[in-house]
Amino acid sequence: MGLLYDLSSKYKTLSIVGMAKNAGKTTALNYLIEEAEDESIKLGITSTGRDGECTDLVTGTDKPRVYLYEDTIVTVPTQLYELAEAGLEILQKSKYRTSIGELMLCRVADSGYVQIAGPVAVADTKRMCDEMFKLGCELIMIDGAIDRKSIASPETSDAIILSTGAVISRTMKKVVEETAHIVHLYSLPELEEGKIRKGIENNCECDKIIIVNKEGKVKILDLLTGLGASRFIDEAIDDTADSVFIPGALTNSVISDIHPKKIKNVRFVLKDPTKIFINNRDYKHLLKKGFRLQVLKNIEVAAVTVNPFAPSGYSFEHEALRDAMQEAIPNIPVIDVRI
Amino acid sequence: MAKCETANTSVDLTKVKPYGDTMNDGQMEMTFTLPVPYGDEADEAARQLVKKMGCEEPSVVYSHDMGGGYTFFVVYGKCQHTIDYSTIHVAKVESEVMERDECGKFIEENIGRDVIIIGATTGFDAHTVGIDAIINMKGFHGHFGLERFKNVISINMGSQVPNEELIAKAKELHADAILVSQTVTQKDIHIQNLTEMVELMEAEGLRDKMLLLCGGPRISHELAQELGYDAGFGSDTYAEHVCSYIITEMVKRGRI
Repeated sequence: MGLLYDLSSKYKTLSIVGMAKNAGKTTALNYLIEEAEDESIKLGITSTGRDGECTDLVTGTDKPRVYLYEDTIVTVPTQLYELAEAGLEILQKSKYRTSIGELMLCRVADSGYVQIAGPVAVADTKRMCDEMFKLGCELIMIDGAIDRKSIASPETSDAIILSTGAVISRTMKKVVEETAHIVHLYSLPELEEGKIRKGIENNCECDKIIIVNKEGKVKILDLLTGLGASRFIDEAIDDTADSVFIPGALTNSVISDIHPKKIKNVRFVLKDPTKIFINNRDYKHLLKKGFRLQVLKNIEVAAVTVNPFAPSGYSFEHEALRDAMQEAIPNIPVIDVRI
Repeated sequence: MAKCETANTSVDLTKVKPYGDTMNDGQMEMTFTLPVPYGDEADEAARQLVKKMGCEEPSVVYSHDMGGGYTFFVVYGKCQHTIDYSTIHVAKVESEVMERDECGKFIEENIGRDVIIIGATTGFDAHTVGIDAIINMKGFHGHFGLERFKNVISINMGSQVPNEELIAKAKELHADAILVSQTVTQKDIHIQNLTEMVELMEAEGLRDKMLLLCGGPRISHELAQELGYDAGFGSDTYAEHVCSYIITEMVKRGRI
């Protein structure tokens, strides 16, 4: 009874998100494909980038290929169709185009290696998944690209598998710390039910920054984006303000000019943790200043996979890395994909 | 004697080798710098290096003292490797390329309003050469830039523009397409910068509303796909390539 058996009963779409390039996303994907085959789960596979090519486009290092079994549904662009070694039956053409051709939904008719690519915009990935469910997929896995974390968004997938590995740093402590930071961000507290949440949710559609006071009264700021607008947000926060809802990205430029006292007095609310663009160090600084962050919906991390090998040649001990990671994130299963 | 397969005088596309003076002689010219002081030892080091790279008969035809213990070389050598040209597949842009005036007409007939394109060199990159070649009126290599295109409003924000600023501006102007230029690629800094751009676009909810294009000497369509861009333009592409892609894609996606 594998990991996937537990997951597939709980989730319908799983995203594989990497902490960095070459962290072992594709290796994790292959691991899960093998398990799905053992459990005979009907899989759908798509990707936000490209997968299954032999050598890495950027670093030139070897990459694991992707072997798909019969009856898997997969997204393949026209230009990669010819390169597939598996027999692919084209089920339908999609309206999504990538830079390497139009995307097609294919059924694997004859098991073999396939190069996969999918829609580049996350909203399109979501729509693509719906079409794949219609074709009878029981579980869809979305493979991420590089360290793009936007597919982790709860709007796209029910849960994620976070791939991390030695590639992040030569010191194991750093690898564990960085990964634990992301896991921590993804499990930020959700905003409790009540008038404040209601106030935000009722006005969420307008895609504007919303300030809610303690009575649940909302003030919608007339700003196109929070980026570079911290000055205006600062002006809008008064003594009665309780929460500031930011619909887009939370970067340093969104909060840099907000008075430290105001930072302490209000809490910031985001749609989900993929909107956070503040690095580990700056985030810790903010926490010391009394910065509080909550989300409308957080991200379910189903498992963390570790890869003790870095493509540049160094590696850690299998058990040492896995155990250190498990200790840092005790509630989430940690799997070494290279055993 | 065994038949010599590569020293052939005709082209065999399954075994392609560099051409110097005669077919399949494998002659190559290499230029590089080594961190060693100028002198005979330096020349020998360069020769040995090229030999190790798999080139026969390496000869240093030129070396120059770069100062501070560095030497620059030009080395010739005969490459011993071959490439199977017949099995090569490269991803290319599918859209047809229209000339400048055709672009203007296409917009008028199919879109019926001005197309807004905004571009910048982002991050720490200070090279405006790429974005200027595409946007500025003067253009590059006899190909006029987007500023000279009819029915196109283009904004060049210059270099060292933070991703956030570019996105804020694009949102303000309701841009149809964003061009991101990256010239510096040392330590793969462009990858980091370009992915941050995509992630910010996603977070701001703009990714499926605007076309996002990247360009630069080391950028290809395959890389664009990997990074999550709609298209990538490498060297030898000009404003008309970029514009043709944007306007045909806008029509296909119904963003008129």
